Amino acid sequence: MQDVKAAAAVGTERKTATFRKRLWSQRELILMSFPLVALVILFAYVPIWGWTMAFQQYRPGKSIFDQEWVGFDQFKFLFEDEIFLQVLRNTLAMSVINMVLGFVTAILLALMLNEVKQKFTKRFIQTVSYLPHFLSWIIVTGIVATSLSIEDGIVNDVLMRLGLISEPILWLGTPKYFWGIVGASHVWKEVGWNTIIYLAAITSIDPSLYEAAEMDGANRYRKIYHITLPGIRPIIVILLIMNLGHILEAGFEVQYLLGNGQVIDYSQTIDIFVLKYGLRIGNYSLATAAGMFKTVISIILLFAANNIAKRLGEERLI
Amino acid sequence: MGVNVKKSAMLSMATVLTLGTVLVACSDKKDEETKPGTENATTTDSQQNTETTAETVKPLTISVFYGVQGPIPNENNKIYKKIKDELGVTLKEEFLVGDIEQKLGVMIAGGDYPDIITANPKLVAAGAMQPLEDLIEQHAPRLKEHYAKVWEQMKDPEDGHIYWLPNYGVYQGDYVTTWYSGPAFWIQKAVLKEFGYPKPKTLDEYFDLIEKYKEKYPEIDGQPTIGFTTLAYDWRKWPLINVPAHLSGHPNDGIVVVDHETNVAKAFFATDIDKPYYKKLNEMNAKGLIDKEAFAQNYDQYQAKISSGRVLGMFDQHWNFNNAETALTDAGKIERTYLGIPIVYDESIKDYYLDRPALNLNNGFGITKDAKDPVAILKFFDTLLDEKWMKVLQWGIEGEDYLVDENGKFYLNEQMRANFNNADWKASNVAQSLHEYMPKLQGQYSDGNAAQGAGFQPDEFFAAQKDFDKEVYAAYGAKLPSDLFSPPPENRVSYPAWSIDLIEGSPAKIANTKMEELALKHLPKIIMSKPENFESAWEDYVKAMSKVDVKAYEDRINEQLKWRAETWTSSNGSFE
Amino acid sequence: MNTVKKRFGLEPVIFNTVNYFLLLCVLVVTLYPFLNTIAVSLNEGLDTTRGGIYLWPREFTWKNYESVFNSGHLFQAAWISVARTIAGTVLSVFFTSMLAYVLSRPEYMFKKSVTIIVVLTMYFSAGLIPSYFLIKDLHMLNTFWVYIIPGMISAFNMIVVRTYIHGLPEALVESAKIDGAGEFRTFISIILPLCMPVLATVSLFVAVGQWNSWFDTFIYAPKQSLSTLQYELMKLLNNTMNAGTGNAAQAAGVNQGGRDSAAGMVTPLSIRAAITIVAALPIIMVYPFMQRYFVTGMQLGGVKG
Repeated sequence: MQDVKAAAAVGTERKTATFRKRLWSQRELILMSFPLVALVILFAYVPIWGWTMAFQQYRPGKSIFDQEWVGFDQFKFLFEDEIFLQVLRNTLAMSVINMVLGFVTAILLALMLNEVKQKFTKRFIQTVSYLPHFLSWIIVTGIVATSLSIEDGIVNDVLMRLGLISEPILWLGTPKYFWGIVGASHVWKEVGWNTIIYLAAITSIDPSLYEAAEMDGANRYRKIYHITLPGIRPIIVILLIMNLGHILEAGFEVQYLLGNGQVIDYSQTIDIFVLKYGLRIGNYSLATAAGMFKTVISIILLFAANNIAKRLGEERLI
Repeated sequence: MGVNVKKSAMLSMATVLTLGTVLVACSDKKDEETKPGTENATTTDSQQNTETTAETVKPLTISVFYGVQGPIPNENNKIYKKIKDELGVTLKEEFLVGDIEQKLGVMIAGGDYPDIITANPKLVAAGAMQPLEDLIEQHAPRLKEHYAKVWEQMKDPEDGHIYWLPNYGVYQGDYVTTWYSGPAFWIQKAVLKEFGYPKPKTLDEYFDLIEKYKEKYPEIDGQPTIGFTTLAYDWRKWPLINVPAHLSGHPNDGIVVVDHETNVAKAFFATDIDKPYYKKLNEMNAKGLIDKEAFAQNYDQYQAKISSGRVLGMFDQHWNFNNAETALTDAGKIERTYLGIPIVYDESIKDYYLDRPALNLNNGFGITKDAKDPVAILKFFDTLLDEKWMKVLQWGIEGEDYLVDENGKFYLNEQMRANFNNADWKASNVAQSLHEYMPKLQGQYSDGNAAQGAGFQPDEFFAAQKDFDKEVYAAYGAKLPSDLFSPPPENRVSYPAWSIDLIEGSPAKIANTKMEELALKHLPKIIMSKPENFESAWEDYVKAMSKVDVKAYEDRINEQLKWRAETWTSSNGSFE
Repeated sequence: MNTVKKRFGLEPVIFNTVNYFLLLCVLVVTLYPFLNTIAVSLNEGLDTTRGGIYLWPREFTWKNYESVFNSGHLFQAAWISVARTIAGTVLSVFFTSMLAYVLSRPEYMFKKSVTIIVVLTMYFSAGLIPSYFLIKDLHMLNTFWVYIIPGMISAFNMIVVRTYIHGLPEALVESAKIDGAGEFRTFISIILPLCMPVLATVSLFVAVGQWNSWFDTFIYAPKQSLSTLQYELMKLLNNTMNAGTGNAAQAAGVNQGGRDSAAGMVTPLSIRAAITIVAALPIIMVYPFMQRYFVTGMQLGGVKG
């Protein structure tokens, strides 16, 4: 017994000693990171006491201790509303559509641009394609609505001329088109912007790899498939994991601006619901409750995706 | 973040609008401005208040927060300068930029308030406001006299204190209307002219005209004629959902109709009150008279359509499509502008579109607990309520901004009219937002001129009309557009129901949101369904509505209507 | 060599044709909204109400821009915007990539816990009011630093930079260490220069975010002297929208449709377009500038080899 204890003590001591040693040897890394981590904790984690609002009927102007505590009422209100499932479905659907379309189009565009050899042309197209990012959603949705109009919208016009439809389609008044329109609008506005990160990643690919492949007689597609794509795979995987965590963030500006009574069953997202039944009618707590719900889901998905990536031997987030 | 924030700000403003106040549209006036830094007003001690209390106003800086986004005055605004020079008062104004809920949330959380602020129930609930009733009684004789008739109405239903100074709804002399900015069924003047200026009274007659005209002219300027359009976008949803109250002869109480005798409110969504209207629209849709895109269009598209001149009619508040109408006139298509007509369900119903403005409760300025000298602030507003100052704020400077004829009537020349149409000019020469929110005179001054400025002076208004319009009004034996409406009776004591505070986060407020949501979702389906499917679509609507706690909403409204009827009647008398 | 050429003789032509055609489509589709906004911004406001403005103004006017530039504090606010964009970008990119470097070191003992702490910040928000209290307690309300410090470490950018560093050959760091360089030295003199493409990318992200931000001004720094360009433009836009409805009665009442005065009217639609262009043009210029750094990664091949 004594021996074991002594051994354990020595072990602990040794462990502590190694720990100290490591601490000392990594002092520079620690010095470089801890102040920054402190900053993150201060500005992101400290105010988290605000989450107590989710369990209150928060009234501005009263201190946190004078608030009325309502337990899980806010969550009940959220989950028990009959349209909550519908709202959740819409959020997930639009967010998945946006994510898939967003990834595919941005990567494709990056690959296509990478094949353009004239530097000026490449930069010009690149720059132009990211312009819509700087327009607000209200402007973009305005143009979308005009283009889809049955009066003189260009989309109906083109489809009619091509003989694909016999009479104009009321795009924005038809529920089944709504998710697609939102997805397409996102692509339109953000594809160029999303491409930037891939173009940056492509620059890190060792040019000698291409030369070697050419020697081996690889054609252009093979080079794209075997060199370029694997070269940007880590960043694709990382972005995918990060975005999976945002799956309940389908936003609400687009849906709000393009939506109307006719498509409300497909356009309403969690955020719109919270805005309508929370902030706008003076219930601050509902937004906090919904935010907590989203955070929990995000973190679960994030760790799950990260684990899968780990098993597949891909780049990991954590 | 940007847009959402703004969106909800618009919404809060919109609740007021949607629920029907027309008053927002009646602003007129002069401008204000922010002068940070110039705290020490070198005052020429104001002997200006000739006939007032002997006390003069001391140099004073008042910080103001407006819960709206403008209009923002220029730095060198002449009215502000005059106020500063003559009264020694400098206004440090701040306007809302993002969302009012967020801004107030932060302001209340931080406990840091300006001296005066525009009304919001949240501020009272947070204990941020000073009770004003005693201070007014003791120090502000003009304000006291001004509000005497409505004194009891101004008191908070919960604690009986007065926190806000209502900015509209207190009249001197006769109530005058000129331009009609409120709700109506609008019809193109060309349609009326075509058929020799008939005056439709019922829905059937109204749509008959539209149908006949559309048959005769299937195209206008080379594009298909649109019989009737509507709008249900964002917060501008009244063109679709507020109509049945008016058709059934009720004034604008929001989404309820209130029995004039019993003072009992009933929500009219999915009832027999609104059914006939949507049935009619359903039939008209089958005939191809309703704009297919009506329920999917945004506000810009709606305006563009109207200003193309091919929409024959719609229900709306006038100010909402005023820009489109101006664009029509501007393009030389004045006959494509609109005349508002008070349509009702049947001949036996007397129209009640035009109403007497009620006291604008929960509006105007209040003084916060951070204000160091509330008495001086009240005295400042008391002084501005003097006719001399009201003329400065409402008409401007005599000779510069308006002229006086030999009978003492105020009028404008062409240049002056143009000025009042020019936003840039107004930013430097009118204290617009200050006047909008301060206690003010409406109706007539003691000399008979219209308070609130040129737009409210009937002769001046008539003089500014185009010949074609004069001709159209004359065809109806009218001089002004508002003459086509029945003169408004005295308001019900508890009028209007839309100004009732539903209490934030309460079941009544949730029910209100749900009801509107269901209406916006079901009505388009109902209107666009085949006539044989109308009944089943309507049934769906009724069924969906039955799941909503409409009673919670009606109960809150009725409780307050009753309270108003009791409290307001009894005390009105005591002051008169 | 000859056979290779033969085999792929026609193929690159087809590939390039298809590629250029598709890129042309992208070009047209993404250029349109911007050109349309410019056209609207140069068109007379009331006329814009009628719709149908596509690529060219119908009734040309500078009026919309005039009223944007006439609004008071624009130039001072632009100066604050430039200052916060430069300071914010430099500091944020430097510290974020420093943290990324530390977290890319496989031997770092707090790697995992620190990564989790930082990454999670992307997925929750404490809410406006508690954050406001924090800023207030730190006495940062109405200070320039409120624009820079709270968001200085961006989890997203940190991960992007870290991923890029992972792609660099580990041998570089090792050899630096053997030469006796400390971690900080290694970071400054080896890693940073090699990271130019990704630094250019995250700088763009931060700069655009800083430039476009107005919400922090709204909540934390309402003081006029700290106002930013975006905030002033937002104020102007709101003001126009408000004037549009609020004064309709007045305008119409006094002079219903008087031709001379109605023309030259500024409407929310046209002012929004002008504001968008004024706000976007300066920051759009940043990207073409950054693009030069997108090729420097090529030099890496030499280092690696």
